[in-house]
Amino acid sequence: MAVLAVAAVVLAGWAFPVLWALLTSFKSERDVLAYPPKLVFVPTLANYAEVLFGSSTLLPNLWSSFVVASLATLLTMLIAVPAAYALARLEFPAKRGTGFYILATQMLPPVGLIIPYYLVLQRLSALDTYSGLVAIYLTFSLPFAIWLMVSYFEDIPREMEEAALIDRAGRLRALWYVILPQAKGGMAVTTIFVFLNAWNEFLFAVVIGGNRVRTVTVAMFNFISVEQTLWAKLAAGAVLAMAPVVVLGLLAQRHIVKGLTVGALKGGGRR
Amino acid sequence: MILLATTTAPLVYLLWTSLNRIDLSMPWLSGFAGLDNFARMAGDPRFWSSLWLTLIYTGSTVVLQVAIGLGLALLVMQIPRGQGALRVAAILPIVLAPVVVGLFWRTFVLSPDFGLVDLATGAVGLGSHNWLGDPKLALVSVIAIHTWQWTPFAFLVMLASLASIPPDLVEAARIDRANAWRRFRHITLPLIRPAIVIVVIMRTMVALSAFAAIYAATGGGPGTATEILNLYAYRTSFSELNLGYGAALAVVLLAITLLTSLLMFRLRRGR
Repeated sequence: MAVLAVAAVVLAGWAFPVLWALLTSFKSERDVLAYPPKLVFVPTLANYAEVLFGSSTLLPNLWSSFVVASLATLLTMLIAVPAAYALARLEFPAKRGTGFYILATQMLPPVGLIIPYYLVLQRLSALDTYSGLVAIYLTFSLPFAIWLMVSYFEDIPREMEEAALIDRAGRLRALWYVILPQAKGGMAVTTIFVFLNAWNEFLFAVVIGGNRVRTVTVAMFNFISVEQTLWAKLAAGAVLAMAPVVVLGLLAQRHIVKGLTVGALKGGGRR
Repeated sequence: MILLATTTAPLVYLLWTSLNRIDLSMPWLSGFAGLDNFARMAGDPRFWSSLWLTLIYTGSTVVLQVAIGLGLALLVMQIPRGQGALRVAAILPIVLAPVVVGLFWRTFVLSPDFGLVDLATGAVGLGSHNWLGDPKLALVSVIAIHTWQWTPFAFLVMLASLASIPPDLVEAARIDRANAWRRFRHITLPLIRPAIVIVVIMRTMVALSAFAAIYAATGGGPGTATEILNLYAYRTSFSELNLGYGAALAVVLLAITLLTSLLMFRLRRGR
């Protein structure tokens, strides 16, 4: 019984702040500040109308986030899938070194990357552009995606492609017709994770972005100023910003542990 | 490879920047400065304070996550049903953007009078506190925020690891009349040690470069009360526009991260 109680408390602790924001997003600003807090109130969609179509609309920011995250994901997958396949199957000089190198780049503190990127992009006048932001997103999404894909490729039995190779299919054709269909699930999960990380990114977005490219994570600060906090609007904005990642997270639920530990699990084992 | 272009080249540039004096507010003073930036650190109390805070922040969040995550996982293993619900709840904090989490806590959870924590402490007669405005409480608060968001990660990894222990082993020990503590100490612990090590390594790396949640919750303040090295490097570079010194700070953080990861991987292999 005690065990159940503890579990229930923890469950509430993790879910409650999120649910509370959801609840608040349907309150009027006046109801939010009522004391004691109102659990029964007249729900309103005014906050959503405001953050979607009002003067503090988040639509351009949601669009920016979507564009940046999608482009970064697409590019990442285009590069990561062949790279991961090479690491998993082919023999080439300095393979172990390359593998460890990719793992090490994943550990770089982002603040160490943002300064040189800022200076270079400034010189190229590429600050506040999609391409600049996408380029820096590759620094964290690529190593992650490569390692995750390597682990999926390694799960595919070698015999399958050997059979294809004996049938005189070239490496590329074997990859396209035999391996990729097998790795579909892994690729889907990797895509979800890369998108999720890109969507949630903040440090790069706030430094590289500006008035033209302002992602939704940066725009959340619109609702908070020294003078006042627009509670209900903030809640509605937060719900909009969270919705895609929560949906994706729940979709990839079963794979989330694997996705989160991939670097460490693999990295230590292979050397 | 592309990673070479996207990560290593900027790193070299970062090292070069750290050797220069680049102050965008005083551009006429820019130029090569040798090790001046590093020499300045030695006499900079703000640097030492941020280093110390980084240590406290990283150490305490990692210990808390592992302890709570493991404790919970052990508890949850004993409840026959409802594990699924907990797993889903655990996903929620993980997929949220840290910056949204920081804002969440700053407003809905920790703000004086209206926040959930204050409502709770008020209800039991502990009064109202300025959780993020008081320098001592602010540090505790940002540690709590990080722990809240990432303990589910530790929990999920430990749970997966515990679930993979063959029940016969524990059963056999029970028949041999080993008590609960000895069963844990001699059977469970050695079997889940790899999982614990992975969690410690990964969480340490992330905690060292934590940024968005603290930025959103306190911005490093009040004053410099929650300014870990990462935030100091950011503020120096992009608020005070002293990119040379900021880069030098980032180099120190980078060195700490690399040393820690090497040390941890060595420890891991030694076992």
